[in-house]
Amino acid sequence: MATKNLSEPVFYNNPGIRAVIYQILLVLGLGYFFYLIISNTITNMEARGIKSGFEFLGSTAGFDILMSLIPYDATHTYGKTFVVGLLNTILVSIIGIIFATIVGFIIGVAHFSHNWLIRKLAVIYIEIFRNIPLLLQIFFWYFAVLSTLPGARQSLSLGEAVFLNVRGLYLPNLVREDGSAVVIAAFIIGILASFIVKHWARKRQEKTGQQFPVFYTNIVLIIGLPVVTFFAMGMPFGLEYPVLRGFNYSGGITVIPELMALALSLTIYTGAFIGEAVRAGVQSVPHGQTEAARSIGMKEKQIMKLIIVPQAMRVIAPILNSEYQSLVKNSTLATAIGYPDLFTVFVGTTLNQTGQAIEIVFMTMAVYFVFNMIISVVMNLFNKKVALVSK
Amino acid sequence: MTTGIVAWMKNNLFSSIPNTIATVFILAILANFIPGLLDWLFFSANWSGETQDDCVKDGACWVFIQAWSQQFFYGSYPTEEIWRINLCLGLLLSVVIGSNFVSKTIRTKIFVPLFLLLPFVSILILNGSWIGLEPVSTDYWGGFSLNIFLAAASIIVAFPLGFIWALGRRSTMPLAKSISVLLIEFFRGVPVLALFFMGSVMLPLFFTEGTNVDKLLRVWIVLTLFMAGYMAEVYRGGFNAIPQGQYEAADSLGLSYWQKTLLIILPQVLKVSMPNILATFVMLFKNTSFLMIIGIFEILSTTQAALSNSYWLGGHANEGYLFVAMLFWTVCFGMSVISSSIERKLNTEHRK
Repeated sequence: MATKNLSEPVFYNNPGIRAVIYQILLVLGLGYFFYLIISNTITNMEARGIKSGFEFLGSTAGFDILMSLIPYDATHTYGKTFVVGLLNTILVSIIGIIFATIVGFIIGVAHFSHNWLIRKLAVIYIEIFRNIPLLLQIFFWYFAVLSTLPGARQSLSLGEAVFLNVRGLYLPNLVREDGSAVVIAAFIIGILASFIVKHWARKRQEKTGQQFPVFYTNIVLIIGLPVVTFFAMGMPFGLEYPVLRGFNYSGGITVIPELMALALSLTIYTGAFIGEAVRAGVQSVPHGQTEAARSIGMKEKQIMKLIIVPQAMRVIAPILNSEYQSLVKNSTLATAIGYPDLFTVFVGTTLNQTGQAIEIVFMTMAVYFVFNMIISVVMNLFNKKVALVSK
Repeated sequence: MTTGIVAWMKNNLFSSIPNTIATVFILAILANFIPGLLDWLFFSANWSGETQDDCVKDGACWVFIQAWSQQFFYGSYPTEEIWRINLCLGLLLSVVIGSNFVSKTIRTKIFVPLFLLLPFVSILILNGSWIGLEPVSTDYWGGFSLNIFLAAASIIVAFPLGFIWALGRRSTMPLAKSISVLLIEFFRGVPVLALFFMGSVMLPLFFTEGTNVDKLLRVWIVLTLFMAGYMAEVYRGGFNAIPQGQYEAADSLGLSYWQKTLLIILPQVLKVSMPNILATFVMLFKNTSFLMIIGIFEILSTTQAALSNSYWLGGHANEGYLFVAMLFWTVCFGMSVISSSIERKLNTEHRK
């Protein structure tokens, strides 16, 4: 008698078949959802008379932008406004990342100072600034601090070179003269040479055990070499100072207050998070490591450089990655004070004028995705460098 | 002498020459600023009065905050109906506190459904038109209470949603997995401001013509999805911390997938990810202030409106920002204290 095997499950209890059924349902559901959205969107756009497509990028923008790193005026295209905004976003992001890292590491290290006051100040800094919304901090710097600065004639100044007033910060500009290329070349050669020295010193130490003063040699190479060439070439760099003409300063570099407020708040806010990460990183190194290093006779400076920092970096690097990403994303808050970043210019003015909501929002999102990816790739390379290598 | 205040000062403030210089320098700066600050904050401040004219002294004009306090907390919600906001805040507080003091069974059987119902009950009470109260349009909702409600309502829905996405990411079904990854990465990778703009300029295009979706509802949807992306990532960390043996033990007991997930894995995931959940919530709460950019009358836009009010000469930015900062700081710092106390409880590893 051929009986069916009783332990054979009913087909709908078979996990493999179930998985297929679930996924078919999921696809059907999602398909219907997207069908609804797309058909609704098409109807709505037709009703409002919006043409889809990217032709609008070629038409004349007709509006001015407060600050641009490339030549731009109202006769340029919408496509150009995208580039202007993009460059302004990159500018504030890079300024923010550099200064937030510096502030963060100072605060993080200050947490382990021998001085009680410095320790407490670091804690207070972190706890105050990371618990207040970034937008509020931007408003504070922009509306409560920078817009109450004196006018151009009463500018705060630093040695007749740097001026600060309600219209912005004025810095001297570096002007190149004949022969400056040689100095720049010397600088690049210095950097390349320092890498070679470092490599050679490590090889030698591995072979013979002798140490070479890499740090001081490289300082001489990177700073000394350009300075010597600078004087040898007859000082081919000059400074162009901002000068008060009429109602404002001209010449030099002008930093608009919007950029200052945004960069300052991004630095202070992200710096608090990075400071916390550095603290956590240093604390994550077990105390036994320090004790072991002391017991084999290492100096405190060596312990920091060779034992604690490399291990702490393993904890800090992934956090730095996500902090940098959120800094770039947070730079979109520029739109609240009118700093012309990608968001203000493109999603703000350009979208208002053209009504191409879908194209513009997607282009902008794509840009931030690419930024995130670039940061991720760079930081992962760095992460790999500091990660634990088992030999 | 190794103990006592002098020894402490010698060890912590004046242990070396650079340290002594730093101490003196910092003390000098503090001595320069603190008295003036205290004077502005308290001693010369104007505490009582009703209008700008009552601010006669040099210090801070706290009268300004007092006069606008109802706006700061409740927005333009009608004064005689404010008890409804207080009632909802009370409900939220009692559910949160209550769930900490009941046994585990009651918590899962009663308080979890209560939590999930809370946003909808609050909408019923605050809107009022469905339960016979005076209807209050969402245009009048605002102030700090709106920040609290939006953050709470979003995290309550994002809790289960994020968990489903996180499960999807771990799933062996390739389609479910890739959809979950796509959703999580999308909502984490895009600036929250872009999501808000998407909610206000693109979402209306997605609905059938003529449907007018309320502004706050759209914000709620966006905040929930944004939060779910971050929560899914937090849960993922939690899943990774659960030993493989737990899954195997549940399987060998013959538990089904959902029994295993909900009874064995979820409680442990929640326990280990609690500090991160709170940190994510703090981030969400701070991000509710971004809503002013798309024209929601949360506390920061109320403050901006108050600052530009002509009766107050528009010159109380310091007081206004300080007050709002203090409100946010209290909530966020409170939460980070709770979070670190949980972390300490969980962390039994030996440290210096």
